[in-house]
Amino acid sequence: MANLLLEVNELSVSYGDVRALTDVSIAVDDGAIVALVGSNGAGKSTLLKAIAGLLHPSSGQMFFMGESIDGLSTKHRVDRGIVLVPEGRRLFQTLTVRENLKLGAYLPRARASYDESLERVFALFPVLKERANGKAGLLSGGEQQMLAIGRAVMAHPKLVMVDEASLGLSPLLSAAIFELIVALNQQGTTVLLVEQNIHMALKICSTAYVMKTGSVVLSGTGQELLASEDVRKAYIGERGGRR
Amino acid sequence: MKVIPDVRKLGKRKLIWAGIALVAAVFLGTLPFFYDVHSGQWGYVLFMVFIYATVSQAWNLIGGYTGQISLGQNAFFGLGAFTMALLWVYDVTKTGYWFDPVLIILGGVTPVILAILVGLPLLSRLRGDYFSFGTLGVGMILSVLFLNGGGFTGGGEGKLLIKYVPDDLVINLRTHYWAAFGVAVLTTLIVYFMTTSRLGLALKAIREDEVSAASHGVNVLKYKIIAFAVSAALTGVAGAIYTYYLLHPMPMNVFSQNWLFLPIMMTVLGGTGTIIGPWIGAFVLYLIAYYADTLPGFEGWYPVVLGVIIILVMLFLPSGIAGLGEKIPHRLTRGFVGRRSK
Amino acid sequence: MGSFAQVFINGILLGSMYGIAAAGLSLIFGTMRIIFIAQGTMIVFFAYVVYWCFQKAGIDPYLSLFIAVPLAFAVGLGMFYLVFRKAAALEDKNVSLLIAVGLMYLVENLMLKVWSANPRGLKLDIQGVVIAGWGLRISVVRLILLGIALVSALVVSLFLKRTRLGTAVRAASEDMEATTLQGINSVWVCAVSFAIGIALAGAAGVGMATVYSFDYKFGFTFALKALVALALGGIGNVFGALAGGLILGVIEQLASYYIGMNWIEAVSYGVFLLVLAFLPQGLFGKRGLIKKV
Repeated sequence: MANLLLEVNELSVSYGDVRALTDVSIAVDDGAIVALVGSNGAGKSTLLKAIAGLLHPSSGQMFFMGESIDGLSTKHRVDRGIVLVPEGRRLFQTLTVRENLKLGAYLPRARASYDESLERVFALFPVLKERANGKAGLLSGGEQQMLAIGRAVMAHPKLVMVDEASLGLSPLLSAAIFELIVALNQQGTTVLLVEQNIHMALKICSTAYVMKTGSVVLSGTGQELLASEDVRKAYIGERGGRR
Repeated sequence: MKVIPDVRKLGKRKLIWAGIALVAAVFLGTLPFFYDVHSGQWGYVLFMVFIYATVSQAWNLIGGYTGQISLGQNAFFGLGAFTMALLWVYDVTKTGYWFDPVLIILGGVTPVILAILVGLPLLSRLRGDYFSFGTLGVGMILSVLFLNGGGFTGGGEGKLLIKYVPDDLVINLRTHYWAAFGVAVLTTLIVYFMTTSRLGLALKAIREDEVSAASHGVNVLKYKIIAFAVSAALTGVAGAIYTYYLLHPMPMNVFSQNWLFLPIMMTVLGGTGTIIGPWIGAFVLYLIAYYADTLPGFEGWYPVVLGVIIILVMLFLPSGIAGLGEKIPHRLTRGFVGRRSK
Repeated sequence: MGSFAQVFINGILLGSMYGIAAAGLSLIFGTMRIIFIAQGTMIVFFAYVVYWCFQKAGIDPYLSLFIAVPLAFAVGLGMFYLVFRKAAALEDKNVSLLIAVGLMYLVENLMLKVWSANPRGLKLDIQGVVIAGWGLRISVVRLILLGIALVSALVVSLFLKRTRLGTAVRAASEDMEATTLQGINSVWVCAVSFAIGIALAGAAGVGMATVYSFDYKFGFTFALKALVALALGGIGNVFGALAGGLILGVIEQLASYYIGMNWIEAVSYGVFLLVLAFLPQGLFGKRGLIKKV
């Protein structure tokens, strides 16, 4: 039986008076790809931000590798191995590709394996090696997404959370990025992804959670959900095409 | 615009403040009848408090309610002062009154023109700090212009208006007291009605999140200009009233930083975005300033104390004295609300 | 004095002060997103420090660079953690701005109380030394001032480009949240940026003490000039801010010479408004400060 890497229990998050998440529970096994799907405003990004430490929950607990991470700052969570690739990439546009990657490996633990991580990133994303000294802002959309993921990899993470990797990318490019995410996962990195492109997300994941207006409404394996009538009708459409 | 607020909805705290305000207003308004305002020191003190309350309340409109920190109020104050003075000296309106309400009102007109001229470029492009500094620059330019105005504006000396007062007139501080009081109350009423109307809702929306307000169809620029212009007008009128008392507007005095920083600090201390805040701040800070200088060994320290107070207020009580006892302590702040939802 | 070249050179030399101040402002703005209006007042403060070091302890003002700058850095860290840290966390720019205003008022009047309103200025032998040639007269103290400015800018620039922390500062100036996501302590990054900004004020203080006659009020107008210089130069580039200062210096001297000394201020602020209106990102800026609503 696989080990539980991340456990989120009954998490609630509010923006002032507005409830964004209500009693959300998810479990991420070590080595798995877990997907969070659902329409806009479902709270998926909020959940990732809460796990990353950018938002403080009003109630609930989170455990990583068996230990509580409640109240820990983002810095400590990164140190433990939880890294977020944020929505919209949020690259440092005026810095070079190399500098972006370097910043990913800022913390001592990550710095120790800097060379190794860099090799790994360049192996996964060869184009980044070519453009290593160019400004991040000049990269194409797909390249930027690769850099964003690469930056996270530099932190020597155990869990990489990816928020909307396919945002703004063509179907072809999205598929390529997803392949790379799968490759990353096969190297041993656990992935938690938030994705609008439900079809692709469900195809590559082992477990998935469907969220709606701040709560988890469905969960199951990727295959189960792909086959499910409810999911098809609500999110995928009758013909199985991408929404 | 609702004229009479629904009393039931107001809530206890607000009613208490309103009650206090009413009593205070009656007391202050009738004070000259049972206290010699002219020779007693309180007359002068209260006069200045009213002037400061007016300027603070005016700043409150643009800074507190709309969230645009203007650092150019002294420009409007001085402009109002000089407008009134120059119109008088060159006898433009020929009304023949000494204490001429027309001049006072006109004193508020040039600041409006300036506010619109300056506000259009500054407010349409700039947000936050840069607007603040744009207004700061305007204040400084105006100061210089008036200093170099030669015979027309009187240069560094300013204009000695005492020469133009009719010889047989006995000046009693009472007139000025009431004028200042009236203007302060009027300003407060104007700001009150503006901020409790739909306009006020728009201003607060702009303060909280401009981009969101714009996307909801609020014409951000128009409302900012309105708030800025009204604020300027009221400040100018205060300048005119002040000059009527002082009878000697000098650039160094009417454009001084005191008219810039003190009203801001007063409003902040009393509570930005509240109607009563500027009054509380004006009373407290002016009294501190006035009496601190008379304490032995303490003279000259009060500005330092004021600076410390402001910093402390900003850090620990951003909603000012008026915000004491409120449920949500950080009324001035927006920012990462999610973080604080422990 | 007479030729255009002389006026131009004077402008460059005097403008270097604005340049250092502007560089400090740029750094502080980059991470904290506030224009630190008290920068000028802090420069005056350190000018007093240098002045008293000389008067009481006979320390050569240029040597006191090595006192003033580290002291300024420490003071900067202290100020940040004491006063700005909470405001930075609240992320409300108005609060930070008002704190800076309060701080300026506080320090200004503290200096007035403690050191009186008498204008101060160092009287040094070196002040009389002038390099003459090609029909120009260049004051050595002012030349040294330019040197200090250039070296300061170089040091800061190297810090930003070549060190890990410096790269983090550059990243934070662009996107604070993304910086936090890399596990970088954003509070520390802001603190360091602020402290370096104050350290630059310390260096400028040395310049001020040696070149100008200053008093407690001097800082305010100086901060405004620094702001104009920043607007001219643009944000995000240390040398750009320095250049903005030099350009402003030249404009001022030209105005003084051709229009008259009284109008320098008006011209400076006029330039400011023009730049804000027509060239909001400055001449060398990497990013615009201005966002259209």
